[in-house]
Amino acid sequence: MILDESITTALDSIKANLLRSLLTTIAIVIGTASVIAMVGIGSSAQRAIDDSITNVSARTLSVYPSRGRGSQKINSTPLTISDADALIEDNEINWRVSPEIRSSKSLKYGNESITISVIGGRKTYFDVQGYEIETGNFFTERDDLARKRVAVLGSNVGTELKTSSKMLIGKEVDMGGVTFKIIGALKPEGATGWSNPDDIIYVPLLTASDRLFGRDRVDSIRVEVPNTYTPEEAMISIERVLRREHDIGPGEENNFRINDWSQFTDLRKQATAIFSGLLIGIAGISLMVGGIGVMNIMLVSVTERTREIGLRKALGATQNAILLQFIIEAVTLCIIGGIIGVIFGSSLYFLVTVFQDWVFTIPFSAIIGSVIFSGCVGLFFGIWPAKKAAALDPAVALRFE
Amino acid sequence: MNVIKVNNITKHYLLGSQKVEALRGVTFGIRQGEFIAIMGPSGSGKSTLMNIIGCLDSPTNGTYHLNNKEVSTLEGDELAGIRNREIGFVFQNFHLLARNSALDNVMLPLKYAGFNRDDQLKKARETLSKVGLESRMNHQPSELSGGQQQRVAIARALVNNPSILFADEPTGNLDSQTGHDVMQLFHNLHQQGQTIILITHENEIAAEAQRVIYIKDGLIESDIKKDKV
Ligand SMILES: Nc1ncnc2c1ncn2[C@@H]1O[C@H](COP(=O)(O)OP(=O)(O)OP(=O)(O)O)[C@@H](O)[C@H]1O
Ligand SMILES: [Mg+2]
Repeated sequence: MILDESITTALDSIKANLLRSLLTTIAIVIGTASVIAMVGIGSSAQRAIDDSITNVSARTLSVYPSRGRGSQKINSTPLTISDADALIEDNEINWRVSPEIRSSKSLKYGNESITISVIGGRKTYFDVQGYEIETGNFFTERDDLARKRVAVLGSNVGTELKTSSKMLIGKEVDMGGVTFKIIGALKPEGATGWSNPDDIIYVPLLTASDRLFGRDRVDSIRVEVPNTYTPEEAMISIERVLRREHDIGPGEENNFRINDWSQFTDLRKQATAIFSGLLIGIAGISLMVGGIGVMNIMLVSVTERTREIGLRKALGATQNAILLQFIIEAVTLCIIGGIIGVIFGSSLYFLVTVFQDWVFTIPFSAIIGSVIFSGCVGLFFGIWPAKKAAALDPAVALRFE
Repeated sequence: MNVIKVNNITKHYLLGSQKVEALRGVTFGIRQGEFIAIMGPSGSGKSTLMNIIGCLDSPTNGTYHLNNKEVSTLEGDELAGIRNREIGFVFQNFHLLARNSALDNVMLPLKYAGFNRDDQLKKARETLSKVGLESRMNHQPSELSGGQQQRVAIARALVNNPSILFADEPTGNLDSQTGHDVMQLFHNLHQQGQTIILITHENEIAAEAQRVIYIKDGLIESDIKKDKV
């Protein structure tokens, strides 16, 4: 009975000073809005990262030659096809190894001539990259060993030669003075980062090395590691093989680099963590400021309503009844702020999901949790003013002007 | 039988280093059903006395028995309980809750007494009818005249059947006709056996009581019982 009286009284007094009450709760609103936006954005970002990791069925590491520094540049040891073969022969981990040799060449067909990126690789190159054929065929391992002059086109190359990739199948083109037969064209893949696989022409590794570029130095070796191994385990194995191949003595530095692509996702995770931390900070400070604001407004309210408190006491209100009334007022104020904050926070989060093309999921527990937490802020900061009210001497309070 | 027995009550206030002796030894008894006026010049200690016998405050010295129970030694919530059950207050400036209806104002003491809502509503309606406001129950104080507001306050004071009804200058803020109506209400209540203690400046008002206690400088100057009016 006293409880429902306290709640109606609290709502009445909030309504009576609506503008003041709303202004008081702004910091609480910001606090809870940040919490909700943070939880939502955090979980969506996490989900996006998880998806991108599971999309790549296995983890891919890339090995590059060290970029020698200064005078060391001349001495820097290249990565070669035999390094790649050594990795293939090592059977500790059943990884897939895809060496890549890359350069630019002029490409002529009929009267058209363009400059194009050429990648030499094995059949595994397409598997590791996940490229699919649209028309014709990939080259095979036998094409590679026989150093056959065959090529597979990226999906744009045909149009760049003023024809279509389909039309070029079976035709011969001139690349750097060497004649190649086109045997296949890829499906469009879309640009990833700085290179566009659709603008590239692909030839067998040994053909590229012996007939086109005249070098057995490769630009990178991709190693696709099955899910049963961590990238760290794979790195240790790669290091072991390549250090042996390169005759690197104990204590000497590697003359190659291994990039773990999952580092990028780690980086993104880190960025998300920093972002969350920032929002937690904002939320914490806002709730703190909000709490102090509520305490201030409650002290004002207690002073303004001294005579009312005196009257209630004259009518028989116990100290606890008064205490409860003012605590409930503070808690209600903060919960209202919390609810408004949840609405603002979810809207903000919703906008972000629209722009980032993420899934919108706010855990119900986060909503309930942040509303309850703002209630607790009200409780914590409302206790002192409420105690002041409860301790008022009724005779003095009634005389108060 | 005495409802109230005060014995040599004093009340001192400290204003900084200065001691104000608001009451300097007051002794009297009040019987069940009496209608008493307390008079005296401003600052003589009337309100202080009402605060003490109304259990809003404790005396500095002396004893006070209410219904044969010593209450001068009680504090805080114990006094709150006694105020709730035994005492009804009517103030000069009504002291109604501005945002609550007449009915809600009258229900307030019953809420603190712990009655369920049905009983609260029933008793509050009955009491408002008793003071002639059955048609104004859902009005807010701002929608009522001064006399009506004071009658709401009287209903609130009576709703929990107190032993004593205190009224501190109940007509002080009312014009003479309305004041007269309110006094008529007090007479009716007195007729029904209600013990009433009324503080007033006005001789006319005091003249309507059965007994008049004059206070001056914190002491009883005279205590005059009259024959029935
Ligand atoms: N809380 C207090 N602190 C200090 N002094 C007080 C306090 N309450 C009353 N007094 C003093 O005690 C004396 C009696 O005051 P009281 O209010 O009882 O007078 P009163 O007879 O009711 O006067 P009035 O007719 O003007 O209402 C006054 O001198 C007053 O200033
Ligand atoms: Mg007075």
